[in-house]
Amino acid sequence: MRALLLWVIPALALALVPLWIQSPYALHIFILLFIAVALGESWNVIGGFAGQYSVGHAAWYGLGAYGAFILLLRKGIPPWFGVWAAVALAVIIALAVGWITFRLRGPYFVLASIAVAEIIRLAALNWKIVTNGAEGILGSDLPPLQIGGTVITDWNSKIPYYYLGLLMAVFCVAVNFVVKRSKLGYYLQAIREDQDAAHSLGIPLTFYKNTALGISAACTALTGSFAAFYVGFIEPQGVFGIDVSIQMVLTCIIGGIGTVTGPLLGAVVLVLLSEWLRASLAQAHLLVYGVLVIAVILLMPDGFVGFIAHRLRKKAAGR
Amino acid sequence: MAVFLQSLLSGVLIGGVYALIGIGLTLIFGVMRVINFAQGELVMIGMYCTFFLFKLAGIDPFLSVVLTMPALFVVGAVLQRSLINRVLDALPQNQILLTIGLGLVLSNTAMLVFTSDYRILSTTYSSSSVGLGSIRLSTPLLYSFLITGAITAALYWFLARTDTGHAIRATAQDRDAAQLMGVNVRHMGVLAFGLGSALAGAAGALIAPIYYIYPQVGGAFTLKAFVVVVLGGMGSIVGATLGGVLIGMIESLSALYIASGMKELCVYVIFLLVLLLKPSGLLGKSRT
Repeated sequence: MRALLLWVIPALALALVPLWIQSPYALHIFILLFIAVALGESWNVIGGFAGQYSVGHAAWYGLGAYGAFILLLRKGIPPWFGVWAAVALAVIIALAVGWITFRLRGPYFVLASIAVAEIIRLAALNWKIVTNGAEGILGSDLPPLQIGGTVITDWNSKIPYYYLGLLMAVFCVAVNFVVKRSKLGYYLQAIREDQDAAHSLGIPLTFYKNTALGISAACTALTGSFAAFYVGFIEPQGVFGIDVSIQMVLTCIIGGIGTVTGPLLGAVVLVLLSEWLRASLAQAHLLVYGVLVIAVILLMPDGFVGFIAHRLRKKAAGR
Repeated sequence: MAVFLQSLLSGVLIGGVYALIGIGLTLIFGVMRVINFAQGELVMIGMYCTFFLFKLAGIDPFLSVVLTMPALFVVGAVLQRSLINRVLDALPQNQILLTIGLGLVLSNTAMLVFTSDYRILSTTYSSSSVGLGSIRLSTPLLYSFLITGAITAALYWFLARTDTGHAIRATAQDRDAAQLMGVNVRHMGVLAFGLGSALAGAAGALIAPIYYIYPQVGGAFTLKAFVVVVLGGMGSIVGATLGGVLIGMIESLSALYIASGMKELCVYVIFLLVLLLKPSGLLGKSRT
């Protein structure tokens, strides 16, 4: 109960933020933060709990983004329906891919996940009739949305995105909570610790890995379509590129993998650092990710969360 | 028929360079069981070295191999000593993430130093070609293939005939046994990573006259090197040589018969098929 309160109170506090912070830039940072948190928590389900290091999650992110954009652009389906269709599409493809690739282990699985994301990226790049190819799709080309004759789309206002983003981030954190405490979570952690032992205890590996992948892909695709509408522009390299996948993985690693707080902490650190250094690094903002991940792996392999917990325990023991 | 042969041969020529990158990757993997996700970034450094040697000192890109290889050997040895050495006993995922981080640092630093502009290295013979019956081959590609062949042959000789080569192969075969026989396995790790980087640097020098040079160019080469290595069998040097040439041929033929935009897609589909159907590769031993 107390743990729940610790999460509910900050979420409520965040919900009140736009009441006295109206600066679009500050809200922008918060929205970026929500996206990063949602992505980190999404990846955590498959990478953190189940220990399956997918470096191809850009596939599900991009399918969410492209699915929702294309449905609106070509068929006029509004995002509040289209997003779910895009999420469903991503989950179906993810399950098909998982069914094939989950027989691979360790580095071979990592390589297969990259290859899958690259195949989908190249397909999006070459299937020009549907995706516009390398030109991408601009948000301003999308038809305006109407409810009962009044146009409600104002792609520029940040307040709706703020609340949607917050809701999405809270949802992804909640998913992690539920998964971690459920039977599924224990099965996944057993698979992470020792696949063969888990298998010999009667846990069907591929089924549970696929369940985790489905949940993870759904959250990722949801975030992808949200981010696409927020940014207002998508192109194959930007949403399907390996950089997206790497950012998701590193958010978890830096924060602390397999914990609910880890991706949250990782997202805060990474978003604030790259925003702070944006002026001096410009396009090279991924430098921050690279330096941090090297430092974390060498100095604190359990991420910030593990490092802090270790320090606290040491302090408690010392007393 | 001439078109087919033409494209097959160009595929073989460019495949030689892929083989060079793949051999570096497989050598590192064989000796240390570390998959180097920064291999393509080392190629990128080689390309920039070659570019500036040509621009500032007027050194021909094919001659500059003599300089880029030792330079990249030093870079690789330093990286191994300072970073890779410290995760040799860590989880495989952490090793992969470390090299991914290293790749990000290298490519983004290059972006800060050289900007993200695309650069072209054009020599007097850049667009010339050599006739061979009814087919014509691009001169720079032909040169780079010949040099690749020479480097690969020298490497084979080194590994098969010298004591140090034997020690490297022994370490790859069984680390503990090699150590018991008095091989300094830590030293072999530094040597292997240095050699792997030197090969990446050579590949960078050899393709600098053919490719655009930009900081993000490495990612594509890293992925291609994986395909080459998995196709040939992880840890097998002969396999990587064969895999490189095969991938070059597949790329070139699928560009001809399907569509030029589809060549990479074909490569990745074949990669997935190999991973699923014969993960030990064409020449690899089955995994334990």
